[in-house]
Amino acid sequence: MYCVRHVTEDLYWVGANDHRLTLFENIHPIPRGVSYNAYLLLDERTVLFDTVDWSACRQLLENLEHLLAGRALDYLVINHMEPDHGASLEEVLLRWPNAGIIATEKAFMLMRQFGFQIDGHEQIEVKEGDTRCFGRHTVTFISAPMVHWPEAMATLDLTSGALFSADAFGSFGALDGKLFNDEVNFDRDWLDDARRYYTNIVGKYGPQVQVLLKKAGAVLSQIKIICPLHGPVWRSDLEYLIGKYNLWSRYEPEEKGVMIAYASMYGNTEAAAQSLAARLCDKGMHRVVLYDVSNTHVSTLISEAFKYSHLVLASVTYNLGIYPVMHSFLSDMKALNLQKRTVALVENGSWACKSGDLMQKFIENELKNMTVLGERLSMASSLRPDRSAELEALANAILESLADAAK
Amino acid sequence: MLFQTTPAHEELRAKIRQFAENEIKPIAFLLDQNNEFPDEAIRHLGEMGLMGIPYPVEYGGAGLDALSYAIAVEELARVDGGAGVILSAHVSLGSWPIFAYGSEEQKKKYLVPLARGEKIGAFGLTEPNAGSDAGGTETTAVLKGDYYLLNGNKIFITNAPKADTYVIFAVTTPDIGTRGISAFIVEKGWEGFSYGDHYDKMGIRSSATAELIFNNVKVPKENLLGKEGDGFKIAMATLDGGRIGIAAQALGIAQGAFEHAIAHAKERVQFGKPIAFQQAISFKIADMATKLRCARFLIYSAAELKEHHEPYGMESAMAKQYASDIALEVTNDALQIFGGSGYLKGMEVERAYRDAKITTIYEGTNEIQRVVIASHLIGKPPKTSSDGGKNLKKPAPITGLRKKQLFQEGPAADRVAALVAALRKDGYDFSVGIPIDTPIAEAERVVSAGKGIGAKENMKLIEALAIQAGAAVGSSRPVAESLKYLPLNRYVGMSGQKFSGNLYIACGISGAVQHLKGIKDAATIVAINRDINAPIFKNCDYGIVGDLMEILPLLTAALDNGEAKAPAPPMIKMKRPAPPRPAPIGKTYVCLGCGYRYDPELGDPENGIAPGTLFEKLPEDWVCPECSTAKKYFVAES
Repeated sequence: MYCVRHVTEDLYWVGANDHRLTLFENIHPIPRGVSYNAYLLLDERTVLFDTVDWSACRQLLENLEHLLAGRALDYLVINHMEPDHGASLEEVLLRWPNAGIIATEKAFMLMRQFGFQIDGHEQIEVKEGDTRCFGRHTVTFISAPMVHWPEAMATLDLTSGALFSADAFGSFGALDGKLFNDEVNFDRDWLDDARRYYTNIVGKYGPQVQVLLKKAGAVLSQIKIICPLHGPVWRSDLEYLIGKYNLWSRYEPEEKGVMIAYASMYGNTEAAAQSLAARLCDKGMHRVVLYDVSNTHVSTLISEAFKYSHLVLASVTYNLGIYPVMHSFLSDMKALNLQKRTVALVENGSWACKSGDLMQKFIENELKNMTVLGERLSMASSLRPDRSAELEALANAILESLADAAK
Repeated sequence: MLFQTTPAHEELRAKIRQFAENEIKPIAFLLDQNNEFPDEAIRHLGEMGLMGIPYPVEYGGAGLDALSYAIAVEELARVDGGAGVILSAHVSLGSWPIFAYGSEEQKKKYLVPLARGEKIGAFGLTEPNAGSDAGGTETTAVLKGDYYLLNGNKIFITNAPKADTYVIFAVTTPDIGTRGISAFIVEKGWEGFSYGDHYDKMGIRSSATAELIFNNVKVPKENLLGKEGDGFKIAMATLDGGRIGIAAQALGIAQGAFEHAIAHAKERVQFGKPIAFQQAISFKIADMATKLRCARFLIYSAAELKEHHEPYGMESAMAKQYASDIALEVTNDALQIFGGSGYLKGMEVERAYRDAKITTIYEGTNEIQRVVIASHLIGKPPKTSSDGGKNLKKPAPITGLRKKQLFQEGPAADRVAALVAALRKDGYDFSVGIPIDTPIAEAERVVSAGKGIGAKENMKLIEALAIQAGAAVGSSRPVAESLKYLPLNRYVGMSGQKFSGNLYIACGISGAVQHLKGIKDAATIVAINRDINAPIFKNCDYGIVGDLMEILPLLTAALDNGEAKAPAPPMIKMKRPAPPRPAPIGKTYVCLGCGYRYDPELGDPENGIAPGTLFEKLPEDWVCPECSTAKKYFVAES
């Protein structure tokens, strides 16, 4: 059964929702599922903007057959060739053998690398600033290299103001009927997944996103609708979304608050972390979140680290090193370019306490623009009440740093 | 060719030797003991026309050649190493740049009195962060209409504070390295020009050596030597010639020790004959003489090349390096020949042994001389980095991240009150205290005196402040070592006691590197000094610019709660933020083709790009090493 939604004049959502996939990119958990968005323009020419994952291909084909109602598909615009969007390309081409393909040079290269049979189809290589008229609608192409793949581009429909933004402005989470941002409570139900999607998938490419945002800024007045490849379509409050992207891509925190991430084997480091959280709240700082790195997926840890201005990393010493799960969190911070955070360290060790020094060294040598507070809390096995003054000093130092950050 | 000096040279040698034997030798031990400059003898040397030997008669000189000058230094150093360097620094360093690069007016005004010996010259290049590497010069000269405003300090300056005329090197164009350095002629006594420590040296103690401090010194525009940016060239050319003087000094020191050793070896009888005839000693003497002859020929030949305007940079470096290296060997052997008696103060060989050491260090260390020689032979090394292999990171302050809050507004009492309020806010409790003789390493607080304290009776002010601040008393090195106001175990610094308590109040301490290294662990550093350019202010949390005589009593009164201080509880170390990491040398850029990041500190060695190469300096045809995207498709990271 077809499942489509009308987006704007002549434009339809023809994508699909996926609740069966456990791990996006085979790494990030998606308990709320994910949508693969594709869009069909029914102009004098018919144009499909991107396809869907192979697992959702059947749905896409049913949607296309329904809307085309016997017309031929004239063009396929491939904004992004990653297989969760490009995998159904070949099947679409088999069904509509006269369709031409519009993509960047690198996208064509990737199609061949992935083994799609595109020879015999018209191949229209486009670059930044090219335009194409399909009848009533004229589109222009905006290159978006390394957001987050090199072939990526965005396409702006100059007639309707629809921006096909590829993976930019996307989110985890299946749509399940609702399509537009004004049909959901985004802040409550979607923002965390949108942030987790951005920070883990695109997080490393902040400077490249900044380039794209500058380009978008120049044509902002022409953009009416943002049609990403995952998650809700935006037709109102575009500044809100662009504002978030501007913060994330500059690695600026959204919240002046504290994320405490602890690695604890037998609950002693955890108890110290809890005690610190309680002190912070006691002193009026309620924007405090606490995560056990051992049972929180690192994609969530990364997302929260992007959100908050201050991090507390509390780790036990393990084999004279940083606890492996905490180490993996730190490695992901490096891989995703997280920077400009203030970090407080809590270390634990029963005979040779090393984790604090090692975390500090990692943060100072491997991450950029980080500040490590001097007030480190060290404990041998467990934090005893006689160390209350040090815990107090750490809490105060964090609060003072938050107050400085607020200036 | 007989490789001999002319009769005129030998006449000059005899004349100077007589002068040295008569006027310097009798007082040499005294000068050494008292760290004293031979004012009278140097004045006389000027009257004899020997302070401007290699300069033309029309400029007040003797009109003799470079070799004559080398002989003069050699002969003075033969009896006293310090006297040798006074002449060498005056002629080669203080006068020569004016002779070679000065305008006619500058020569008339400055060279003539220098060459006549009416005035003494000196040369200021070395700084705390610029020695062998002049590119690190931090003294600045900013053009303000018809004068330059000079700020900064110079260390280890030979002939200061005795000298009247100083050739000073300062940065006029920042951030372009040595090309931004210019040379200036600066006169003693100009407002804002003062002297720091007179160093307590191991040897050449009759030569004065001090720090120069420039605090908004107005240098008339016409005192720029050469053109702006010529400074480095002038400095290097000067040092080329200066090496001949230092080589001659080393030779003289070694020659003197050698002569004493031979005389002693002939006199001292053991096993029935003078030890000179023991083979062990006779071989030593043979080796010493051979080394001296080698050194002498190297020096004289370099002087002759210079005189005849042949290239002599490499040869003068060889002469300096070899003569000073063998000076250490020869003085060592001479002292060995003397045995135990040579180890006693008052023995010429003991003094020569100490005097010799500096010659391998100053006017270019012997390591640098080898760099110079090698560069003449094999050219410049392949570029290792675009900035010539300097530190890739900009240095962080020695004492780490400090608040650097200076109280400058309002009357002194208000500034002191603001300081006390800030300290109280930081948690300092001035109702408790420690004994003022608590060992520095164990003290939670120290009030420390620098040379700015002046006369010894002013130490009472330090003690009074220490009592009210609940602190122990400490000092800078010169206050303990030279002035002897405190025992040696109470000076703070790299070579003395390290302070790792909480509160350090530095009174009249300028902040030499070695001192700052001793207090880098202090939780709070307070600086009180009248020189706003003192490095201590870049390394303090709180500072008051002002006169100690005014500030110290006010501060003491402000901390006085009218009661005796209760014993302080065990120290709780106040924690400080970690020192800032050195700043990056340039922006990183990311590739729009693949996300590769170009980091200038790492460069791209696999493709021939040295670490330290800024992205902007990459060749135009450089491409991303990962995906071959062109340079223009890179974007800067913020």
